[in-house]
Amino acid sequence: MEQSEVMDRVVKILTPWVKDEAALENVSMETNILEDLKVNSARLVDVVIAFEDDFDIEIADEDVDQVNTVGDAVNLISGKL
Amino acid sequence: MIVASRSSGNESQSDRAGSSARPDRVDPRLVERHACQRRVSWLAAPLWIGLSVLVMRLYFGYRIANASALRAQYRAIRRQSDAPLLVCANHLTLIDSFLVAWSMGSPGYWLRHFDELPWNTPERTNFGRTWLARSLIFVAKCIPITRGGAREDVGDVLERVRYLLQQGETALLFPEAGRSRSGRVEESAAAWGVGRVVGSVPGCRVLCVYLRGRRQETWSDFPARGDVMEVSMSCIEPKSDSRGVRRSRDLAQQIVRELMRMEAEHLRDR
Repeated sequence: MEQSEVMDRVVKILTPWVKDEAALENVSMETNILEDLKVNSARLVDVVIAFEDDFDIEIADEDVDQVNTVGDAVNLISGKL
Repeated sequence: MIVASRSSGNESQSDRAGSSARPDRVDPRLVERHACQRRVSWLAAPLWIGLSVLVMRLYFGYRIANASALRAQYRAIRRQSDAPLLVCANHLTLIDSFLVAWSMGSPGYWLRHFDELPWNTPERTNFGRTWLARSLIFVAKCIPITRGGAREDVGDVLERVRYLLQQGETALLFPEAGRSRSGRVEESAAAWGVGRVVGSVPGCRVLCVYLRGRRQETWSDFPARGDVMEVSMSCIEPKSDSRGVRRSRDLAQQIVRELMRMEAEHLRDR
């Protein structure tokens, strides 16, 4: 799967949890999920589970520690496909 | 006041796999840092434990309802098993961790059983602003955490909690992370970090503590002066057949649901 396709799906999955929708318009690999998109940190687990379901992968707790930006999520997912 | 000790299910295959499959690699710097803080905290314990209780009792005028019965029940829970024990409480005020500890044991008890006195994970922005505040929380068995901060930093704190539980020490975590803005335990606020800790420590029990001042209607910085704290405890062993992050969320939800059950009971009996 192309990285751009993973990126599109990641952004689509993130959208319901994003509080700053304006930030979505300029989303990039460097966009911070918690700080820029204002996703509630307690809800990050739901986002990660949505990644698991959508891409049919399994993500360990420790993997989530490496996810700060959209690019981190894309790379993590790409590495498991 | 309720004390229960129960398991939320039989130990599943994935519970065993999830906790024992994890290699026990702990950063030596974490071990050294923890040992240093523990030593300083222990040396200063007569001062800070005594002072904390004096401030709560004499300055704020707080009391714990049925304190001696609660403490006896806590000791009974301790006697039941040597398994690691994580304390999880509802969160309404900035000093909940002190009140929870005070309800579980007297200052003398904590001095004699220092490792049972829970480590606490206060929000860095609330307590880490000044040099003095940072020193005080260092001495008072606190591991500051930045909620919503960099995932790696949060992971480091959870790793340290996991480590100290495996060493036979105790920690207090608030499963809702911050103080409840609605004044009620909320399942939607359940942070999965607590489930991650429980899932990574084999046989970990969770002592759920529900604490609320009689005059505490919603969240605040401090309980009202002279308030009497009603406390209940329930010891559970969360289990899950799921794996990975899903498993951690499942375990965290079981803890929060238990606190919700205790809250409903508390409000019904009020």
